[in-house]
Amino acid sequence: MSGPARLCGPTLVASVRDLRKDYPMNGETVHALRGVSLEIHQGDYAAVVGPSGCGKSTLLQLLGGIDTPSSGSVELLGTRLETMRDRELTRLRLTRIGFVFQRFHLLPVLSARENVELPMAEAGVSRVERRARARQLLAYVGLEDRADHRATQLSGGEMQRVAIARALANHPVLILADEPTGELDAATGRGILDLFQRLAGDGVTLVVVTHDERLAAEAGRVIHMLDGCITDDVPRSAFRVPHSEATVDARGPGSGGDSPPSNAELGTRNAER
Amino acid sequence: MPMISSPFRNLARHPVRSGLALAGIAVTTAMLLDMVLLAGGIERSFERMLMGRGFQIRISPKGTLPFDTEATIPGTGNLIRSILADSSIVQAGPVLGTSVYARRGDTLLTLFGYGIDPAAQAQYQLEAGADLTPGDTTGLLLSGPAARLIGAGLGDSVTLVGRLDPQMAAAAIQHRLVVRGMARWLYDYRGQPSVGAVVPVMQDLSHLRAQDRVSAVVLRVRSDAEIEQTSRRLQRRFPMLEINSVANLVVHFRERLVYFRQLSYILGSISLIVTVLLVSTLMTITVNERLGEIATLRAIGVARTSIVRGIMAEGAALTLIGGVLGVGLGTVTARYLDRILTSFPGLPAAISFFVPNPASLGVAAGVLLATGVIAGAYPAFIAARAPIAATLRTEAT
Repeated sequence: MSGPARLCGPTLVASVRDLRKDYPMNGETVHALRGVSLEIHQGDYAAVVGPSGCGKSTLLQLLGGIDTPSSGSVELLGTRLETMRDRELTRLRLTRIGFVFQRFHLLPVLSARENVELPMAEAGVSRVERRARARQLLAYVGLEDRADHRATQLSGGEMQRVAIARALANHPVLILADEPTGELDAATGRGILDLFQRLAGDGVTLVVVTHDERLAAEAGRVIHMLDGCITDDVPRSAFRVPHSEATVDARGPGSGGDSPPSNAELGTRNAER
Repeated sequence: MPMISSPFRNLARHPVRSGLALAGIAVTTAMLLDMVLLAGGIERSFERMLMGRGFQIRISPKGTLPFDTEATIPGTGNLIRSILADSSIVQAGPVLGTSVYARRGDTLLTLFGYGIDPAAQAQYQLEAGADLTPGDTTGLLLSGPAARLIGAGLGDSVTLVGRLDPQMAAAAIQHRLVVRGMARWLYDYRGQPSVGAVVPVMQDLSHLRAQDRVSAVVLRVRSDAEIEQTSRRLQRRFPMLEINSVANLVVHFRERLVYFRQLSYILGSISLIVTVLLVSTLMTITVNERLGEIATLRAIGVARTSIVRGIMAEGAALTLIGGVLGVGLGTVTARYLDRILTSFPGLPAAISFFVPNPASLGVAAGVLLATGVIAGAYPAFIAARAPIAATLRTEAT
C-alpha cells in the first residue's frame, strides 16, 4: 500500500466487539457507547455520522487507543488494545495510527515541516530521512512552499493539511479523523475532502467522524450512530478501494508520484520500528 | 527532536510573561550569587590578606590574636634567634603596632605606627620611593593617607613623637625621620594614616625598647606541608605565646563570623525557594494552557518521558536565561554592597565581603539549574498524566 503500512495477509485492520463506554457526569452515568461492534478493513474509507453526543468521537478515541472502554474489546492488527501497557499503546499510536483533529492541534512554535517531522523524530527516524519524508508529505498535501512557515502563519485549511501530513508521517495502517472539516469554511473543507478522497484512492484506511454530509456522501462506507449504538452500516463498494489492489500495489491506484511516499521510498520499513 | 529543541521558542510564546518571570529569576539568582560570595568571601579575603606576604605562622601574646589587644611579646631578639634555629623556619619578621604622633607646628597628628623588619617586609608593599634597610634608624615609610594628613612627601623630614609613658612620667620621645618611601599597609583600614620605621625606632617611641617588645612575630615556613607540624612544635616550645598558623587563624575568624555564614545560607535558601516557586508557577500555568496540545502529542504517540523531558527542559531554559541575567545583576549588587560593608570603621581595606570562588559558584550554578529542572517536574508530571481523551474533549468545548 502507499504511505500507510503494507499489510500482507489479513486485511482486517481493526475490530471492535461489544464496546461500551460509560462516563460519570454530575453523579450520574452517561452511556456513551452501548455495545458497539465493528470491523474496519484495509482500504476502508468509513464515515461515522450521527447527531452530537451519539458516541462518534468516543468510538474514534477507543479505536485509536487514547481512551479505555468500560467493557468490550478493541483489536488493532490482531492485538487487543486493553491488554497493552501504556508505553506499548503509545508506541502503537505512534507507528500504526494517524490522528487528524477538528482543531488541527499543531504545535504553534514549530514550522509546518517540523510539525510533520515530530512523530518521526519521536519514532527515532534519522534527521535526514524525516526531513526528506516531511518534504514529500507536504508536497503530497500541496504545501511544499509553506514548509518553513510557522503553524500560526498558516490558514485553517493549510493547518489541517499539515495535520494530515503529520498523521501520515510514520506510515500508519489506520487514519482516524475527528470532524476534520468542522473548523473550516465550505470551500476550504472541500479541499480537505478532496485530499481524503485522494488518500482513500491511494489505499489509505480512513475512519472519519463527521457532520459533513458531503464527506459522508463521498465515503466508501457510512456508519450511522444514535444514542451510543450503530444503527446502520452502509458499504458503498463503488467508493471502496479493492482490498486486493491495496494489498498488491503499495502505491494504490493513484501511484503516479503524487501518492503519500512509502517506506520503501525512504529506505525504511515499519518492521524496523 | 523538534519538541526538545523548542524550549526557547515555547518561552517566546508569551514574551511579557516570560520576561517578568526571567526578571524574577534574575533577582533571586543575584541574591543567591551574593549570598554565595558572602558566605565564604570574608574568610577567603582574610586568608588572602594574611597570606599576602607569604608568612604562614603568627606568634602573638598568650590568649590574643595578632593586633587583637595592645599586649606585647618581650625579648623578641632572643625569641627570633631561638625560632630561626628550627630548620623548618625560613624567615621571621617582628611587627610592632603602636600609636605615634607626627608634629606639625604646634599640632600633634595621631598616626598608627608600624615597627618593621625591612628584611622580612611582612606587613606592607612599597608603592613609591625606596624601602628601608634593616639598620636604617632615620628612615620612614608613609601610607597615602598619612602623607596627606602630615603634608609630607618623599625626602621630607617628619618628627614622630612617642606617647608619654604614664609610669615613668617621662617626656615624650621624639625622632626626626626622613620619608624614604610610600607603602600600602596590608592591615590598614580605608584612609588609615600609618607610618613605618624599623622596630627599634618604634619600640623607642613606645617605651618598649628596654624589654625588646613587639606585638607579633610572623614566620615563613619552608614548605606548606610543614606548617601545622611546625606550628604545634613551636607551641610546645613556647607555651607562654600564642602560635597560630594562618589556617588556624582563619578557623578562629570563621567562628567569630559564623552569623555571616548563617545569614548567607538562610537568604540563599530563600532565594532558591523563590526560584522554585517562580519557575513551577510559570510552568504550571504554561502546562495548563497547553494541556490540549500535550494531549494531542500523547495521542499521536509522543511518549510521557518525551513530554516530561520537554517541559523540564523548558524550566531549565528559563532558569538558565534568568541565571545568566542574575549573574550580571548579582555582580553589580555585590560590588555595591561590598563598598558599603568595607567602609565600616576599623575594617582592613584588604578585606572584601564578596569574593568570587569558582568552586562555590560552580556549585551554585549547578544547584540553580537543578532547581529549574526540579521546579518543572511537578507541572511535567501533571502534563504527562493528563487523560488524553478527556483533555481533548475539554479542549473542544
